Amino acid sequence: MLAGCTESLSIVHPAGSAAEVIATLWWVMLIGATAIFLLVTVLLVLSFRRGEQPSGPEADARRERIWIQGFGLAFSLIVLAALTGYGLYVGERLLPRPGPDVVTVRAEGARWQWRFTYDDAPGRTTLGVLHIPARRQVDVQITTVDVIHSFWAPRLGGKLDAIPGHVNVLRIEADTPGDYAGVSAEFNGRGYTGHRFIVRAHDDAGWDAFLRGETP
Amino acid sequence: MNALRRHRELERIWSSRPGWRGKLTTVNNNDIGLMFMFVATAYFVIGGILAMLIRSQLASPHSAFMGPDVYNQVFTMHGTIMMFLFAIPLFEGLTMHVLPRMLGTRDMAFPRLSAFGLWCYVFGGSILIFALLAGVAPDSGWFMYPPLASTLGSPGVNADFWLIGITFVEISAISAAVEIVTTVLLYRAPGMSLEKLPIFAWYMLVVAVMILTAFPPLILGSILLELERAFGMPFFQVAQGGDSLLWQHLFWIFAHPEVYIIFLPGAAVISTVLPVMARTTLLGYRWIVVATVALGILSFGLWVHHMFTTGLPHMGLAFFSAASTLVAVPTGIQIFAWIGTLWKGRPEMHLPMLWIVAFFATFVLGGLTGVMVAIVPFNWQTHDTYFIVAHFHYVLVGGFVFPMLAGLYYWLPHFTGRKRYFKTGETAFWLVVLGFHGTFLLLHWAGLLGMRRRIDTVEAGSGWELINLLASIGGFAMAIGFALVLLDVAVNVAVSTRSRRNPWRAGTLEWAALSPSPSYNMASLPEIRSRYPLYDDPELPARIARGEGYLGEPRDGLRENLAVDISSGRPRCLVIFPTNSVLPIIMAAVTGGLFVGMLIKAYWLVPVSLVGMAVIATWWAWTLGSGEDQDPRPVGNGLVLPLASELKRPPGWWGSLFLLLADVVFMGSLLFGYAFLWTVAPNWPPPAYLKPGLLGPVLVLGGAALSFGGIRLAQRALRHDEKPWPGLLLNFAGLVSLGGAAGTVLARTVHDAHAFDATLWVIAGYVIFHVIVAVLMTMFLTLRAVAGYLSSRRIGEANIVGLWSDYAAVVALLGLGAAWLPGAFT
Amino acid sequence: MSDILRISLPLTVWLASFSAVYGLQGVACSQHWAAAGLDVATARVVLTAAWIAALAVQVAFVFVLGSPRFASRSLFVRTVSRILAAAGLVTTLWTLFPVVTTSVCI
Repeated sequence: MLAGCTESLSIVHPAGSAAEVIATLWWVMLIGATAIFLLVTVLLVLSFRRGEQPSGPEADARRERIWIQGFGLAFSLIVLAALTGYGLYVGERLLPRPGPDVVTVRAEGARWQWRFTYDDAPGRTTLGVLHIPARRQVDVQITTVDVIHSFWAPRLGGKLDAIPGHVNVLRIEADTPGDYAGVSAEFNGRGYTGHRFIVRAHDDAGWDAFLRGETP
Repeated sequence: MNALRRHRELERIWSSRPGWRGKLTTVNNNDIGLMFMFVATAYFVIGGILAMLIRSQLASPHSAFMGPDVYNQVFTMHGTIMMFLFAIPLFEGLTMHVLPRMLGTRDMAFPRLSAFGLWCYVFGGSILIFALLAGVAPDSGWFMYPPLASTLGSPGVNADFWLIGITFVEISAISAAVEIVTTVLLYRAPGMSLEKLPIFAWYMLVVAVMILTAFPPLILGSILLELERAFGMPFFQVAQGGDSLLWQHLFWIFAHPEVYIIFLPGAAVISTVLPVMARTTLLGYRWIVVATVALGILSFGLWVHHMFTTGLPHMGLAFFSAASTLVAVPTGIQIFAWIGTLWKGRPEMHLPMLWIVAFFATFVLGGLTGVMVAIVPFNWQTHDTYFIVAHFHYVLVGGFVFPMLAGLYYWLPHFTGRKRYFKTGETAFWLVVLGFHGTFLLLHWAGLLGMRRRIDTVEAGSGWELINLLASIGGFAMAIGFALVLLDVAVNVAVSTRSRRNPWRAGTLEWAALSPSPSYNMASLPEIRSRYPLYDDPELPARIARGEGYLGEPRDGLRENLAVDISSGRPRCLVIFPTNSVLPIIMAAVTGGLFVGMLIKAYWLVPVSLVGMAVIATWWAWTLGSGEDQDPRPVGNGLVLPLASELKRPPGWWGSLFLLLADVVFMGSLLFGYAFLWTVAPNWPPPAYLKPGLLGPVLVLGGAALSFGGIRLAQRALRHDEKPWPGLLLNFAGLVSLGGAAGTVLARTVHDAHAFDATLWVIAGYVIFHVIVAVLMTMFLTLRAVAGYLSSRRIGEANIVGLWSDYAAVVALLGLGAAWLPGAFT
Repeated sequence: MSDILRISLPLTVWLASFSAVYGLQGVACSQHWAAAGLDVATARVVLTAAWIAALAVQVAFVFVLGSPRFASRSLFVRTVSRILAAAGLVTTLWTLFPVVTTSVCI
């Protein structure tokens, strides 16, 4: 796939560690799912072969052991246990745990605009553009002034909803400085399609300049 | 009496009146089943046209075909129609049509309730279609999240159409569920014990119980949201102590089981049709029963997986992620049992089998992506994208529509009495299946590239343009395919040759009937010895027609049927079924007045309709029962059985019990909502909790004791052929006292002050509603006693009233206790 | 009807205990927990205890539905109810194991 704006919202073109581990999770699941689908297809096609099948209660008991207890129960349980464990492990890694180096910003959704404020630059407000430092973990505190929205910058991490009266915290991280596309991902009425924002990741110098109040 | 005379006599007794008037008054399961399916198909066509509008809009970038205001209505109505007006009524209609024959009985348990449900569905659906045509259709998405769906985001009447129309339609789902449960448990051919139940009946039993337990949370949510919109009661408004997440919980506690409520009927058809197509019997019957029951219950523990992005703590998400992966196990058991069945037999590629193969190819993919989105981090990325859209279309179309088409072609001889002649069905098959995968397979990828669901245009340069163009082409191919299916059925109805009996050489009892199925379903009720009665005895259809089973001799022009013991299937009693009646459609129309009154804010219409409903219900119930004790009657084969009106627990008692199950879940959801707000709503506690005081608790405790004791005293008196008046009077006084206790709560709170007050109003209103129902039933019982309808043998009605009266007392104790609880401790 | 209860009870009790533990976790992460002077470590202990209690109930079902005194007279119902009791136990293990493996309130 060519680089460019076609991948600006892509989950499979991660640009930060959070999005990265989820992309890996996807590829692992895709391979597993493809293998299982092929297995089912082969079993289904083979069932149309001709030839006399054994009958009677013993043959049926054997079939139950193979098909139901073997494939249905044991096979499913093993695959699903592994996947569930993997998923929870990844989920735990992505949680916004407190840390010394974490930058905290605040995102406030409204129809149809995002307003951002910064713990490190009190009083500083930006509309539609969220400034963050690259290569540092950023906690986005998400809330709303009207209906439910969802903060989603796909290349930097998963999405999290903005719920009236609640503040949700999302951990994102950008590996390299640059602009990353973000959208509101919970339907919110007639302006939904155009309810976008940009995450601008700065290098160290740029971030310092932003905090000092210069517009980079 | 020979078979032909028996057929004519039974037809005269059981069929609807001739002409279109007959359709308005029919209570016969064959008519009502077909009408359900016909109306559901009409809504499917409307929903399909909306889908084509969506695909037209998204076929090219920056399409100016529809603006957001129209587009939002179109996708909201597409989802709403397909879920509520198509899927559920379609399988209800199919079930009503074929289930009585499969069970070897003559009708559904409560024929007039079937008709009432049908008309509620038709009228409620019409309200929504009217909104669509008038351009004021709901536009907040089919899951109606407040505040977007509340007055803040939807000040117009659009959302009211959804809340009121859908609640009206849900009456039909609940009534059909009560019927299906009662029919499967009580109305079966003699000897059909639980282990001999056709697998279809097991599935539908589970589905019906699921409807009874899943729909009440949504009905509650809809009532709360409508109360918020109409009267400012702030259940979902955070500033006044509400919380919008409460809606999401109530909605998804309904809507996740709903997905399985839709899938399980599909699975029921597969489990029934696939073994016949493979010329064998189903592998692992008991494992399928286990898997179905497990799936039915597990599906209630998954709802939060629709809320993974709402910011709940990871442990809470982990519970539901684990439950969501586990639910794939019973699904897997069924898939592999079906494949094992194919291996066991010799599959033949008839048209139903083609659809089953399409089911496998589609549903397995949908299941696999379903497991993917159950994994929390992946869900954080794909939630609300086209990956989800593609996933659930694979599950719902693959798991429901394709099996239903397999079932349509399988049971077509029952519906039309003819066999297929042209090859239109095969052409339609390929168009639909290839069109479907052409539409949705690549849309997974569009979702991964960041395409959100519900956006009204595809942006140029987004990388999704080509995928969307291909999807639109596939969508139109699929639409043409569906049109061909309809054409195929229409041609089948009009021309083509008559079908013979049992064309598929199946083993289940419905194929013992003539094609098309006669109104009485079974000329006589056979004794059942296995799961496949027609394989045991290929002569069975002829023996049934010759009247060699039970109730083979029609008598007195009565609609006679047998009820059996739940576990063993031994015959218990003779039931006289009601005849054609205009009451159901009148009742549905009057019920409609209630909903229309809410919708157009003509609130005077609400009490007027409620009084009308009470009057019609009295009339309805009065026609049942008997004015004198009756001797047990011979039912054939030397067996003599009492009448249902002389059972302690008549079928109506069981129906009430199953309806009360739904009511219990409603009450539970209400208490859950209360506890939820107390726990997490940001603006709690309220300025002041309600103090219980002395009067309210005294009224409740005294009233509960009086009503509880009173109804028992009345029942005891009836059992001893004594006068029931003292007991009925005590019960009446107790119920009034319970109502008074609820009144004290209303008097001391302000309905729109805080979510706490608003919740208390709903609890008190719920108590008062049940008190009124119990009071009306007690008055009815009094009249019945005066008119001589009750005796020591005819005690069933008193027991039914006892159920409702006790329930009123219990909800008063629990509900008002919960209302006073916080105030008692602060 | 008792046969229907034998079949449906174990998993229904799982559903009740699952919802109860989820509700408990909600309370443990709410203001009420801190207001009562309790901390996150206590929450983990309480949740784990609730899980063990839920498991104990399911083990009881396995034994009760296996005992001749309470089992159904029908072989079919007996088999189905025993498999479902085992399913209830596995389900309780599987769906509530996050109480010991995941973060409580983040």
